[in-house]
Amino acid sequence: MSRVTFQSLILTLQNFWAERGCLIETPLDLEVGAGTMHPATFLRVLGPEPWNVGYVQPSRRPADGRYGDNPFRLGKHYQFQVILKPSPLEVQDLYLDSLRAIGLDLTKHDIRFEEDNWESPTLGAWGVGWQILLDGMEITQFTYFQQAGGIDLAPISAEITYGLERLTMFLSRKDSVFDIEWTNGVGYGPVRHQDEFEFSKYYFEVADIDLHWKLFDAYESEARRCLDTKLVLPAYDFTLKCSHVFNTLDARGAISVTERVGVIKRVRDLAVRCAQQYLASREELGFPLLKRGADVSSARDRADETSAPLGGTSV
Amino acid sequence: MSEYFFELLAEEIPAWMHDTAAATLTQRLTKLVEETGGDAGGVCVNTTPRRIAFMLAKLPEREADRELEVKGPPKKAAYDASGNPTQALNGFLKKNNAAIGNVIDAGDYVMVRKQITGRGIDEILREQVPQIVESIRWPKMMRWGKGEFSYIRPIHSVISLFDGRHAPLTIFGVESGTTTVGHRTLAPQKIEISSYNDYVTKLELARVVVDAVRRRHVMAERARILANEAGGAPSTDASIWSQWQYLTEYPGVVRAEFRSEYLALPEEVLVTVMRVHQKQLPIRDASGKLMNSLLAVLDNEGDPLGNAAYGNSFVTNARFADAKFFYETDRKRKLADRLEQLEHLQFQEKLGNYAEKTRRIESIVRDLGGDADALTAAHLCKTDLVTEMVKEFTDLQGQIGGIYAREEGYPEVVWQAIYDQYALPRTMSGALVSLADRIDTLAGFFSIGAKPTGSKDPFALRRAAQGIVQILLLRDEREVKVGIERLIDLGVGQAGAPDLHDDLLAFFAERVKTILEQTFAYDEVAAAMEAGWASSLTDLADRVESLHAVREDANFLSILDSAKRIANITAGHASTSVDAKKLEHDTEKRLNELADAVGTHIDELLAERRYRTALESFAALAPELEKFFDDVMVMVDDEGVRRNRMSLLRKVGNAVMKIADVTKIVVDRRDYK
Repeated sequence: MSRVTFQSLILTLQNFWAERGCLIETPLDLEVGAGTMHPATFLRVLGPEPWNVGYVQPSRRPADGRYGDNPFRLGKHYQFQVILKPSPLEVQDLYLDSLRAIGLDLTKHDIRFEEDNWESPTLGAWGVGWQILLDGMEITQFTYFQQAGGIDLAPISAEITYGLERLTMFLSRKDSVFDIEWTNGVGYGPVRHQDEFEFSKYYFEVADIDLHWKLFDAYESEARRCLDTKLVLPAYDFTLKCSHVFNTLDARGAISVTERVGVIKRVRDLAVRCAQQYLASREELGFPLLKRGADVSSARDRADETSAPLGGTSV
Repeated sequence: MSEYFFELLAEEIPAWMHDTAAATLTQRLTKLVEETGGDAGGVCVNTTPRRIAFMLAKLPEREADRELEVKGPPKKAAYDASGNPTQALNGFLKKNNAAIGNVIDAGDYVMVRKQITGRGIDEILREQVPQIVESIRWPKMMRWGKGEFSYIRPIHSVISLFDGRHAPLTIFGVESGTTTVGHRTLAPQKIEISSYNDYVTKLELARVVVDAVRRRHVMAERARILANEAGGAPSTDASIWSQWQYLTEYPGVVRAEFRSEYLALPEEVLVTVMRVHQKQLPIRDASGKLMNSLLAVLDNEGDPLGNAAYGNSFVTNARFADAKFFYETDRKRKLADRLEQLEHLQFQEKLGNYAEKTRRIESIVRDLGGDADALTAAHLCKTDLVTEMVKEFTDLQGQIGGIYAREEGYPEVVWQAIYDQYALPRTMSGALVSLADRIDTLAGFFSIGAKPTGSKDPFALRRAAQGIVQILLLRDEREVKVGIERLIDLGVGQAGAPDLHDDLLAFFAERVKTILEQTFAYDEVAAAMEAGWASSLTDLADRVESLHAVREDANFLSILDSAKRIANITAGHASTSVDAKKLEHDTEKRLNELADAVGTHIDELLAERRYRTALESFAALAPELEKFFDDVMVMVDDEGVRRNRMSLLRKVGNAVMKIADVTKIVVDRRDYK
């Protein structure tokens, strides 16, 4: 196995999926808990437009922070997210090819797809799928989206979410995430440890609770105002801000069990309205991507023929 | 005979769904085979994570020809006044391709007999197999691709072979063929299949063991050898095999080690992490102690480079590191110091927090006569809900509290009562805490109108009630001598809702019935419950049991007949006080004396719960009772005499009705000859 770094892993995955017809997006420039919340997933899986995309998403989960003390847990980790819509029949084989691309000889490892369904109460979304275990360790979440924003989906999207730190740790045989290499000669620890410590301290001890409740109310009402003026994308941004403020308050221990359900519902109501309005707005625009999207369903064969990027071949 | 073979290749189907799906499929295929005149013994269903395969080995080539009777119009409408066929009859004949000479007189109607030529089995299978396979109802369905179909997982290919020839059919838009593929990573190539035997052989070469039972045996043997090499044996406390056999196509097992420092953690935590979270099998040494080795499933022949061993060690160490952190954090704070935190932990929005619930549990335990140890356990029983360990491993609630109480030095009876609160308790104190907790939950949820309806029981109240019933049926040193009725009173008292008593009683009646009907016939349970159940469940169980035993006896019919006659003739009459002076006939005088004597005897037997003997004593009255009915007229005009005789019969009958309303027992008289 060649020397794998955090960075080489990202580059390999990006190239791999680009070669198979995916558009490479950039991370969302807002704090989110998962790549799923990026509009390139949550909104694009709605409606009939085909969509194949891959991107890195820094994912902030304030409650998971451990001040940089725990070798396995991070308050912010990085995901590589792939959406294939509609899900091609050979999507599992495509995924296995991506593991081969990062240097794994699959005949020498144990790969299993174990049931793990996904549900997000804040997004009104759920899907069916697996956690993918490499030698007994979860490295990827694989989901066939069934519903988003309370809307039944058709076509169905396949979502593949790689946990980048975990995968790097495993491939480079490191016992602590802070020991992996970001790139040759530069460690992940020196780059990120301060970040983990400071944000853990901030989210658990310092964050101003009153301010965050005010922010939540303000973001929520701004989201509503945007929805009322049919500006769904800004509305969705503010919905995500609400979601992150909620996570911050939660980590800070400022949300009681009673309040929790109510606050989640407030975020979900926004997400559901955003989903409905986004779908309507795309319909008004005549579903612009409907005839232009790259088709990944035969991408596996095509990728075998040539390694040149194939984005937008059917334009 | 002919053979049919079918394979559906899909994506990984959740392990826990295979057994039920295979059973449903077997049942439907058996029915199909029987209907076509084949041998049901030839039905063989197998599944792997990605495959559903079956063979129907003993099929006829064709269905048998048969005769079908087709009913026509009523005779009145079939012929006119002069006996000629009407239009209705002619239409019927034409439709059935028959002539007037074929008409058969069938009483009020006419009919014809039709010869049905049996169809080819392949034709029937091509029609039925897609229906059978597509209509399997999986617990959680999904759509894929364009989203047109709903099934457990996307379908990739289908094989359909009748006597080695392709018998084309379509499953959810996928057209069948004659090829499949081997193991996902070890042998992914296409394979041409000609029969079931061919399939099993070729897939074996392609690293897929088709038979789940064989996968399990291979894994069990491999597990034994690997554990043995580590100086131990696979933990036998695992129901893990039924999962493992559906997690891989190749039955591999790998052994991995974890850091021995983690063995200092409570065993329950280690086992839960391994079994529940990691689906691994712990290894124990000869004395039963956990070792720092474990077994994990492996969808590969071996692990020569140690990759799977490394991965499993890695992930298990990570989990244990978390658990150790939680454990050490928790141990810094005593359970008793956590009570205050329970004030902030909500039990249910309208039912207050866990501190309040704790106070109610304590109060009920006190009312049930719990001693100091039981009260201590009640006081602490919910404190583990605010530990880090239970937040992470919720299925260990109760157990964690028990473990921490043990480590804090509480007496065995206390920590066991906490430990067992969600299970079947080991001690009387445990039984009291469990009863109190559960009745409080039930009364509370009923009081806010959250009682279960139909299949909806979000707060698992049926299970809570069932738990109470099971505890109250215990007979050893854990026998809590309290009836459901009294327990309900305590619960609704705490909930401040005494008017819910009857609702809860009815709810419990259903649970009691359900549990007893697992052992006894429904009519035995109904008969015994009719004589009362809410003041003691062990007494109820004794009565059902004796009824069950005596039912097989030859003289049971006389018990039943006597009771029935008495019940019929005295319907609506309740008094049992007989005025001896008003008795005229010798027969009735003698019956009265006997009733007194036997009645006293039966009462003594009842006090000792010797119900079977009591029922037999009652049976001994039967000849005397029969003579009474022969000699004495009950329904006489003189009201005083009539009522007196009815009271006499009531008195006789009541002796048995205290045990059970035997008239509810349904018998087939032929069984008694």
